[in-house]
Amino acid sequence: MDLYELTTEPIDINAVARRIVPAECGATVTLDGYARRFTREKDGTTRETEYLVYEAYEPMALKEMAKLIEAARLKFEISNVGIVHRLGRLEIGETSVVISVAAPHRKAAFAACEWLIKELKHTVPIWKKEVYADGEAWAEGESA
Amino acid sequence: MQITTLFFGATADAAGTREAKIAINDGTTVRELIEKLRTDYTGLATHKLLFALNEEYAETDTIIKDGDEVAIFTAVSGG
Repeated sequence: MDLYELTTEPIDINAVARRIVPAECGATVTLDGYARRFTREKDGTTRETEYLVYEAYEPMALKEMAKLIEAARLKFEISNVGIVHRLGRLEIGETSVVISVAAPHRKAAFAACEWLIKELKHTVPIWKKEVYADGEAWAEGESA
Repeated sequence: MQITTLFFGATADAAGTREAKIAINDGTTVRELIEKLRTDYTGLATHKLLFALNEEYAETDTIIKDGDEVAIFTAVSGG
């Protein structure tokens, strides 16, 4: 069974990975994306983040997540997919997104997981605000 | 006719609201709506805007219908 959810509670990574495991599979690849404290800027300076705030256009985000899962299954030899994205305030080190992909063989699972996070960052309507000691800014991703 | 516009993240800050019901003329396209919003909410001027029509990405020449929900936002940054 696939799953795709938005939550304001901390994400239990193992639970996401385990919930998608079907009998015919031999490997699950799970991405744990979490809030980073230090970001290297293009000009070589380093910026320090204190915490993050995520918000989503929730009904559309869930639809886009479902579409991504369907597209991934057409593109890769995979079975079930689980995607959970956290919303609200996240402290440094807390998990913001989990993507688990179960497949008969690991190669397809790795490829699909990489493809899914890349697409999620381009299409799923979720936005991240970075809060620094001296200000804050909404991150603007690359256009879809 | 009346439609609902939704704003998120940077566009919500720029518009000073998360949701606005607005009246538009029949035959208005998404492109025309966004031009109107840039005039109504000058804070939007500096942002490259994306949009969704009734929870789906749409073309800018799509004609908006009565009761539609149009979301206006900047490039997504989840993950």
